[in-house]
This record gives sequence, structure tokens and C-alpha cells, in this order.
Amino acid sequence: MTIKTKLARTLAAALCLATLPAFAQETGDPGPAYVQQSLAGKKVVLIPLALGFDLAQGWNHYIGSEVRGFGGVWETRDPNWDTAAGAQAITDLISSADKPAALLVHTPDLTSYSKLFKRAQDAGIFVIQVDNRSNFASDAFVGSNWETLGELEAKAAVAACGDGSSKKIGLIQGDQVNSSSLDQYAGIAKVLKDHPDFELVGAPDSNWDVTTARNVATTLLQQHPEVCAVIDFWDNTAAGTAAAIRDAGLTGKVKLVTTGGGEELDCKALEDGTFHAVVMTDVKGQSRDISALLKFLLQSGLKPGQAKSWIYTLETATTKADLKPGTCWSLKDVQAAEAALAK
Amino acid sequence: MSVLKSGTLSQERIVFLFAVVLFAAYALLLDGFLAPNNLVAILRSVSVLGILAVGMGIVVIGRGIDLSMVAVMAMATAWQLAMMNAGTPPLLATAIVFAGVVAVGIINGLLIAYAEVPAVFATLATASFVFGLVRSRFIVQDAVPVPPSASFILEFGQARLAHMPIEVVMFAVAAFLSFVALRFTKFGRYVYYMGDNYQAARTMGIPVRPMIIGQYVVSALVAWLAGLITAAGLQSINTRVVNSTLLYDVILVVVIGGIGLSGGKGGMRNVVIGALLIGIMLNGMTILDLPNIYQNLIKATILLVALIIDSRLNPRDEQVGQQGDI
Amino acid sequence: MRLPESLSRLIYNAIPSHLVGEILTKRWADNLVPFLLLSAVIAIFGTAINGFFAPASLLDTTRQLGEFLIVVIGLTIVMLGGGIDLSVGSIYALSVFMSVVGIYLWELPVSLALVLAIATGGLCGAFNGVLIGYLRLRAFLTTLVTLIMGRSLYDILIISWGKQLQMSPILNDQFDYIGTGSLGGLPVSILIAGAFALLAHVLLSRSRLGWHISAVGGSRRSAYNAGIPVRRTVFLTYVISGLSAGIAGFLFAARLSGAGPGTGSGLELAALTAAVVGGNSLGGGRGSIAKGLMGAIAVLTMTNGLIRLGYGTGSNQLVLGFMLAFAVVLDIRWAKNRHKVLAEVYVAPVHHRMSGEESALPNGGGAYALNDRLSEATPIALGEVEGPEDVILDEDGNLYAGTRHGEIVRWFAPDYKRSEVFAHIGGFPLGLAMDRDGSIKTCVGAMGLYSIARDGEVTRLSTETNRSWLSVVDDARLRDPNDCDIGPDGRVWFTDSTTRYDAHDWVLDSIESRPTGRLLVYDPKTGRTKTVHDGLRYANGVCLAHDGRSILIAESWACSVHRYWIEGPKAGTMECLIADMPGYPDNINRASDGGYWMAWLGVRTPTFDLSLRHPGFRKRMTRRLPGDDWLFPNINSGGVIKFDEAGRIVCTLGDLTGDNHPMVTSMREHKGELFIGGILNNRIGRYKIPGANPEWTSWKSYWSSTTETVAEGDPNQAARRRESAETTLPEGRA
Repeated sequence: MTIKTKLARTLAAALCLATLPAFAQETGDPGPAYVQQSLAGKKVVLIPLALGFDLAQGWNHYIGSEVRGFGGVWETRDPNWDTAAGAQAITDLISSADKPAALLVHTPDLTSYSKLFKRAQDAGIFVIQVDNRSNFASDAFVGSNWETLGELEAKAAVAACGDGSSKKIGLIQGDQVNSSSLDQYAGIAKVLKDHPDFELVGAPDSNWDVTTARNVATTLLQQHPEVCAVIDFWDNTAAGTAAAIRDAGLTGKVKLVTTGGGEELDCKALEDGTFHAVVMTDVKGQSRDISALLKFLLQSGLKPGQAKSWIYTLETATTKADLKPGTCWSLKDVQAAEAALAK
Repeated sequence: MSVLKSGTLSQERIVFLFAVVLFAAYALLLDGFLAPNNLVAILRSVSVLGILAVGMGIVVIGRGIDLSMVAVMAMATAWQLAMMNAGTPPLLATAIVFAGVVAVGIINGLLIAYAEVPAVFATLATASFVFGLVRSRFIVQDAVPVPPSASFILEFGQARLAHMPIEVVMFAVAAFLSFVALRFTKFGRYVYYMGDNYQAARTMGIPVRPMIIGQYVVSALVAWLAGLITAAGLQSINTRVVNSTLLYDVILVVVIGGIGLSGGKGGMRNVVIGALLIGIMLNGMTILDLPNIYQNLIKATILLVALIIDSRLNPRDEQVGQQGDI
Repeated sequence: MRLPESLSRLIYNAIPSHLVGEILTKRWADNLVPFLLLSAVIAIFGTAINGFFAPASLLDTTRQLGEFLIVVIGLTIVMLGGGIDLSVGSIYALSVFMSVVGIYLWELPVSLALVLAIATGGLCGAFNGVLIGYLRLRAFLTTLVTLIMGRSLYDILIISWGKQLQMSPILNDQFDYIGTGSLGGLPVSILIAGAFALLAHVLLSRSRLGWHISAVGGSRRSAYNAGIPVRRTVFLTYVISGLSAGIAGFLFAARLSGAGPGTGSGLELAALTAAVVGGNSLGGGRGSIAKGLMGAIAVLTMTNGLIRLGYGTGSNQLVLGFMLAFAVVLDIRWAKNRHKVLAEVYVAPVHHRMSGEESALPNGGGAYALNDRLSEATPIALGEVEGPEDVILDEDGNLYAGTRHGEIVRWFAPDYKRSEVFAHIGGFPLGLAMDRDGSIKTCVGAMGLYSIARDGEVTRLSTETNRSWLSVVDDARLRDPNDCDIGPDGRVWFTDSTTRYDAHDWVLDSIESRPTGRLLVYDPKTGRTKTVHDGLRYANGVCLAHDGRSILIAESWACSVHRYWIEGPKAGTMECLIADMPGYPDNINRASDGGYWMAWLGVRTPTFDLSLRHPGFRKRMTRRLPGDDWLFPNINSGGVIKFDEAGRIVCTLGDLTGDNHPMVTSMREHKGELFIGGILNNRIGRYKIPGANPEWTSWKSYWSSTTETVAEGDPNQAARRRESAETTLPEGRA
């Protein structure tokens, strides 16, 4: 503590003491009043790619409760995987009568929303990018480093195979368009470079579709029944890959590694051996990061665009051995809580 | 389609030949293509597509088209699973969804038969409507998992009959039942008459309007069946399949198999041939590790070629083309 | 009048109920339904969304509207031509990609990038066009396939170039300006869209190509048989649609300066819904840019509104699907039942009270009492001629008459056994008049005023008059030109009987009894026609008075004859000469004794006169009874009446047997004989007039310099008589 603040404190205390008889209820903590003044009634809007998947539901609940908790207004927009609809939602928010104080945007690609972010900041709105980055550095990015994610997946797969295995790995990619898909691939490639004895035997696309994932995984396993691990880029499509492994009668022999939002289904799949490892995005922690950042930005006196920061969520590859009660969060509970709130 | 013409190269023959040639080429060139498991995998990969094509085939023979099938498939199943997840007894949930699916078929039929809306638009509208209704009102997530309590669905998905996965068995059953219905029942013959010449069928006293409703109810139920089988295999149903190219694949199977879109021609044999061709083609491309998007481009190009051949075999010109027939 | 009748008169005559039917006949009336829908959507979302009408918000909404509108316009044109284009989403995406590549990778100037985008769109459109137009594939499936092909191609391209594009350091201010800038308060994109809409509207409604597109969409077979290049026209509609998607894609690229995996997906459904909700008909033939515009605004307001209100996934599709189904059903039901609705409401009778107690009964003793003299007429061309509405003779005595077959036939003097087709016109020639040079001027039913030279060459003189601003029906069109006569200065005076019905629906006009008939004049010097007087209940025969200073006009359903002054102190005014006759007058022609012959197409009956006082009864009658059971003017017994310059009845000629000339529509005196025509008759009658001047011919009376027949023509004297006649004007006359 510096001398200056000490002095200030003492002064404040003296001032409080002096006014104590008049304002008996004052505690002397300027915080609540300041928070009230800077945060109450501030509107925060979440625009995910779509609301209909676990991560978005998690953010909606965990960040939403924080925002409502500090007296802000919490809203969401649901573009349902449509970039143009998302862009329009952001545009409308920028020009709306009661402007939001901050936007939390889950961007679909590197460029589409960049101009809009600039406009939002010019209009005095903080922009926090969540989970997917764009090439515009807004006030903050909070989310996964997808390359790290890929590295973790690859490491988990290498570990799962072990030294005595065939050392052949199959890959079920997303669509080779999305940066999350491309970055994951880069991460995996990086790790495999360090393990030259491991071989990538096939890398078909699921196109983010579970049935396609199943079909391509079936063919992959058919052609290479000796693979020791398959990496799927998304737990959603991994359900199809898992079905293919099951169909091929290779359950337990072929280890499935994927990424996920850490929802209960992931833990269940780990529990029953469907997934060998899941690189989980810690939604609760991520939401807490975002909430803290929101509170900071709105109180900081900073203007949108003045500061930049990247906050990467800590990710870990979780296996069955790591499972503890509370490792996963429950979508059901979250939805029940939201439904109760709606009433 | 000139299926009945003998001695000439009908589309069915061309497609069949093409399938055989493709099969032979893959068998020679691709390692593991001929493995029994791969052949079963080919069949399995096209089973759901084939089941949908059975329903679509019946409608197309009656000179209609049902673009709401994939929406019904995904949304009916998702709704059912969501209800079961929420604790509704499986039988009750099934009964409710059955009523819903039949209602969609009836709405399609009413719009097409009585309001005289072109089938493409009626079913396009109901597809959007069904998706929107279930997605916004009954489920909260894109994907709905099979509830842990319903282990029988899992077991069903794992079941095998004579070493064949249950999907393949169901495809065979559906195709066979439809074959019998189309060939040997009054309903089936009427579907052909109606598809061949709607006005004449109507004039000779066939209850064409109720028949149309019947067709779309059948296709909706078939779609639901396909959805259940998908859910059984994957342990969940993802409603985003509605936005995928699955619907186009179904039409591809029907058209490429040789059921002419002008109706009244073809049969279940064509559906099976079409499904097999697609299965062989996709399997080979996956073995070759061709990205999905290239596969789509190739499929679409093949469909286009099929359409062009169709138009050469069944030419339409300004004099015979029907007004408003798009 | 008793109170109930006065009341009914007030209701039926003061309330312009006929406008409902007239509006419904308009093509733009189709726009009412989508317009109401649009208003409802805007009202609902405008109230639900806070700040919807704020300028900033509207600006951003219109920015997106610009792109969408252009796509919808392209689709509208395809649909108008009877096709459909589902591939717009992919074409749009490919054009977005090409624009972005052009700007950010190849560093092209904006104009070249635009060309690139448009070329991409046009090429894709041409691909569709070749397949559907020239190879005759089915539009729906073909464009569905090209949709997938385009989408796959786009995905492949974006994979190979996406990374580079997203990393590009290029900044293009002009490009950004198009995307986000404004000009005079309006976004650039909406200005471009507005210009594009205007261009498309002009193309569709004013150009040859536009008409061809409508024709092909309306009836492909007829268009083909009419020699329209159907295949090329269809091809061009897809090219236009592709171009539109290209321009729209360019604007999108400028707005978001990026192309992502999902760009343009689902656009086809939204655009299709917009086009259909706007009222463009599926399968072609009916549609307009205005409809596309309304649909685009309605759909965009709705989809944006739902997102802005925070509704989740699915709500959009729910509402879009419902709107599409609803709009299509409405469109199809409307197209199917429109004519029924129209038939229900179009006939809007007015109250009309006829007076006059005089009777035409034979031996009734009055001036109008009909006799049986016409049954003595000898028939010409019996059974060979159909419908000689009017007859005329030239100086050589040859006889001319129009026929139902659209010809003017000439019978040769003196026995009229031999005939030839003098001229083929195509429409039904009604009134005839012979000009100074011997050419025949004729009013052709539903066509206009024509001239036939002595050698039989047909020339169109006039097919339209001036449009009055307040009329809903297009009254510039000559709907029922009936009779004509020629003034000394060569101007042709003619009547157009009604503006509300085609000639063959004259029965409905009589039942309605609404005064919409007009007197028109065609001036050969300017080649223009103008309306000089309107408000006549079925304006029929016209005849230039013997002195050439006024025109006599027959007003059939009012049973009156009027005089319209063309020169002198009363020039431009109309006065009643004979009112409330017992018969319905048709053509009027000059007589050799200075009087005038007037044909009666039928005589009044007390029942129909009574029904004219009960408009509600007549309205119900037309709705509930088949046409055969309607009550309408009796046309079974007509005749010929001669009156003098003062309007006094001089003599009557009738056919009580009903065999020869039950209904008379015209008569022409020539050298002591009267030639009689009837529009429903199968002959021309020839009647010897006792005591008539055997040298007198109509042409001489008009055109020879000798003025032997002005004995009765003292205008001052005539005017005095007319003043007295005016006091007996029937009620309700304007």
C-alpha cells in the first residue's frame, strides 16, 4: 500500500467518523455506490453463433446471472448459424434507441464482423469476442486458443495409443473453412511433428454433421482397422464417430479424443468409455473471466477501443481418471434455472 | 422414364451399368473395398437415405414431391426424444408424435390436393414450419440425445439380423413393403394412374384428393421411421441435418434411380439401384479421402447429368409442357 | 317520389359502389393484399420494437434491404417468366467471394470488382439459363442442383483462399463507402437498389423483352405460337436473376468486407417467400417489381424483427413457413376465384325513373303508334348476311354493311344480288358514314374509329381518347364505339356507348343504367380524339343536322335524343330534343324531306321501367339468376321513326309480324328508298318511301354544294322549340 492511499484511507475514515452521527448506515465503503453508479442498468448482449448448443447455453446462464446480479440488463440474440443474421443483429443493436454497454460476440470467422466491431466501439460499446477470434482486436478476447486445443488433443491421442500400439491416428475434421477447425489441425500437426513415429492415416470432414461423421468414420475404420486413436473436432460429431467405432466392434481398442463444452454428456461419455479424452472448455471459468472483465471495463472509465487484452481459457484434456463430481456442468440444471427465471 | 421400353438404354439401365462399372473399378483399384465389412458398411451408409427415398419414391410416382421429409425426420424424432428426456412415458410420447407426424402429412395433402398449391411450395413451407415449430417451442438445443432410460432404443440400434445391421434390415423391409403396396394393392395402382394422368384418374372416379393426402401421410411416417433409426444408431438426433444436403441426396437417389419426376413411372427397384449407386460412389470417395465439399460437387454434377438425360429421354417442349409446371 | 324510393336513390346513386368492381379489374388491385400484409407486419414490429422508426435504425434496416431487394427483383423476373431460381443463394455467395477476392487479393479498383461480381452472377445465371431455357430442364430441380453445385464450389474456393483473404492488409475506402456510407441520408446500397428496381420496372413494363417475359410466363404455348423466342426469353430471365444476385453479392461484400462459410445460405427461401408474399404468381404471368418490393420489405422486417426481439432459433422458420404457405394459398385461391368475385360485385345498378306516358302501341292513337309497314320491305342478302348494324350507300347505289364476321361487305346495285367483301377489318363494324372523298368512316366495336378508302384499304384513325384523371377504369380506351358522322370541316363525331362494359355485354349496361356513354370527336388535322361530352346512358346514333351546325345524339337507355351544338352561340352545349320516347333509339340519319330517320332497337316495357326504380332488385337479379332469366330492354319489336328539326314525330314504320325487322338498328334513305339494318338480323330491308325525293342521296345531302334541304333548318326557330323541350328533361340528367 502506498503512502498516498494510506493517506486517502485515513482521510476517508476521518471523514466517515465525522459524518457518522448524521449517516449512521454508511459503512464507509465507496465500492457498492460506485458499482451501483457504473453498472446498474447497463445492457449487455450476447450474440453467439447460435443459442442452441451447450456452450452458448452455458454462457447465457453463467454470464447472464452475473450481469443480472450486478443490476445490469442481460439479453441474447440468436442468429442460428447465419452470419448475415448475426451481422444484422449487431447492426441493429448499434443503432437501437437504448444502446447496450457491451457486446459479447461469438464470431463466425475472421473478417465478417470486423467492421461492425469498429462501429460498435465508435458508438461507445465495448466489444468482447468470445471463443472464436476475428482479425480485429477489440476490447478483449476471451476463449480457447484453438491451436493449443489441437495440441492437447494430439497429445492425449499419443498418450492414449502408447508406445506399443500401431501409432496410427485417424482424424475427423470439421469443414476446413472455420478457423477453429483450421487452428486445431495446425495444433495437431505441430504435435505430430514432435512424434514422427505417429502417422495420420486419414482426415475426412464431418462437415459438422453427425451422420456424415459416422459414415466417414466407418469408412476410415474399415480401411484402417489398426488405428489406435481417432480425434474428432467436436463432441457433437464425435457421437457419430463413436457409433462407427461401436459398429466396427472396436470399442476400447480405438480411443476417441475430442473437444467439448464440458457438459454432463461429455462426462457420461468419458465414464462409459465412449470418449477416451475430452479437451474441455471450462465454461464456468470462462464465463467468470468474461463477467470479471465486463465489470472491470464498465467501471474502468476506459473508452471502448482504448485497451486490448486476450484472455485464453485454461484447457485440459480430461480422461476418465480425472473425473470428479463437478467436473462437468449440467445443461439440464442450467435450463431449469433459466426457465425458473423466465417465470 | 422409359423403364418399360426394352432393348433401349433406359436411364435405369444406364445407372445400373454405371453402378456396376464403378463397383468393379473400385474393387480393382481400392484396397479393402471388397471386404465384407466394407460392403455392409456401404449398405448401412445408404440405409437411412434409402428409407427416405422409399417414401419420396411413392410420392414422386404419384407426381408429387415431399421436401418436408428431412424436417419431419429430424424434428419428429427430436420432439419425441425431448419428451422422453423430460419424463414422458415412451409410449405416450410416441403416440403424441405419431399424431403430429400424421398431421403434417395431412396438412401437406390438404394444401396440395384441396388448395391446389404446387407440391414443392406446400412442402417447402411445411418443412420450414415444422422445423421452426419444434425447434422454437419443444426443444432448446440443436441436438437431442436419447435418454439413458430408453436403453431399448440403443439395443435396437445395435441389433443385427443375419449379420446385417438393423438399418439395412429396415431399409429392405420398407422397400419390400412399398413394392408390395405399389404392385399388388389398389392404392398402389391408383398411385401410378394418378401420377400418369391426374385429370384422367380423377375423371374415372379415383378419389385422387384423399389419395394425395394418403401419400403424404405415408411419406411423413417413413421420414419419422428414418429419424428413429438414425437416433438409434447415433444415440442422438441433430436437428441441423435439416440444413444439410440430405434432402437433395434423397431426390438424387430417386431421380438417378430412374423414377421420372413427371410421375407414373418407376418403382422400388429404382430406389434400391439409386441408393446403391450413391453408396458405392460415396464410399469410394471417402476411401480416397476426398473432402466432403468435393463429394457434394460431384454428387450435384451427377444429378445434373441425370436430369439432362431425363430431359433427353422425356423431352418437353412448348406444345406439351404444362403451364405452371416448374 | 316516396321516401323509400328516395332513400334507395340516394344509396345507389350517391355511393360510388361501381368503383369496387372497377378497382378489382385493375391489375394493381392485386397489390392490395400484399400491401395490407406489409402494413400489418410493419405495424406489429414497429410497435413491438423500441426505436424501430428511429432514423438510425431505419437506415441500417434499409442497408440490408438493398441487397435483399435486388435478389428478390431478380427472382421476381424469373417467376414472371414462369420459372424459379433457387440458386440465387449460391450465386450471391460466389459473387461475394469474387468481389472480396477482387478487392483484397487482386487489389482491383471498386469498379472492376463490381464488374467481376456482376460477371460472376451473369455467368452462373447463363448456366441456369442454358439448362432451363435451351435444354428445357425443370426449373425447380435444376436450380436446386445448381444451388448445391454453387455452394460446393464456394466452399472449395473459400477453403483455398479464405486464409489469405482474411489476412489481407488492403484497405479500400471506396469499397467501404459503398458498404457503410450514406448519400443524402440514404445508404448507398438502397440507392443502388432503388435505381435497379426502377430499371427493372421499366424493363418489365415498357420494353419488348419485358412483354415477352410476361407473355412466356402467362402462356408459354401461346407465346411460342405467336413467334416469341421462348427459349431465349427464358434464358434471359435467368441471366437477369444471376446479374441481380451478383450486384447484391457485391453490396454484401462491401458491407461486411468478408466472406464466410455461411454467406448467402438460406437466402433462396427468404427471397422466394418475399416474392410470393408480395403476390407474384407461381408458374408465371402475374407479378411486378412493386410486388417484389412489398414482399421484400415484409419478409425482411419480419425476420429482422424476430431477431431483434430476441426470439430464438426456429421462430424465423416457423413464421416464414407459415407466411409462405398462407401467401401461396391466398395467391392460388385468388387467381382461381378472382373472376367470380368480380362477377359478384361488378354490376352496380343505379336508380333511374323513366317518365313519359306516350305509347307506341299500334292503334294507340299517339304520334308513336307503330304500324305494320316495314313488313312490306323486300329483303336483300337474306340468310347471307349476319348482323348488318348499319348500312350505307355510295353515289352509284352500291350498298355497304358491316357484318359480325368483321368485314364490310358491298352489294352491287341495282339488284343487290352480287356481293363482295369490301374490306376486312377484324372487329365488328357498327356505325358507318361516308366522307367527302367517298371513303367510309366506321366505328368498329371494341377497336376504334377506322377509315376505308374507296379501294378498300383500311386505315386506323383513332383507338383512344383523352384519359380523365378521376376515372378508375381506363376511359382513354374506346370500349364500345357505336356510331359516327362527319362534320363539314371533316371532323368525325362519334359515340362510345359505355366505359364499363364491352360491346357484347350491352345487356349488363342496360340493367345497370349508369350514365357513362360519351360523345367524342376525332380531328383529322391533329389525328387526336377528345371527349366532348359524357354522362350519357348508352350513347348511340349520331347525325349531323342538315345545317351542319349541330349534332343529334341518341341516348338509348334514357330513350332520348339530344342536340349538341358544334358552332354558333351555344357551341359546346347539349340540349334535349326528344325526351322519354316509348322506344330505345339507335342510329339516326338524315331524311330527304329535311327531317331525320331514327331506328328503335326496341320499345320500353312497364316491367323494365319499374325495375329501373329498384336497383337492389336488379343487383340481386344479376347475381342470383342465369343470364337467360334476366329482365332487360325488350328488343323484339323495334321500328323506324321520323322526326323533324324541332323534334316532332312525323311518322313511324313498324313490323308487327316480327318476321322481317323486329329490331332495327339503322336505316339509310337513298333515292326514295329506305335500307334497313338490324344488328341481330339476317337481312337488309329495302322499303319504298311513299312520296320521297327519288333523286336525294345521303352523300349529296352532306357534300354537294346545293343546299336544298334547309327549309326547316332555321336555327333560331329550332332553338326556341328546344327551350320548351328542356323543361321536360328526365330526372337525374346531368
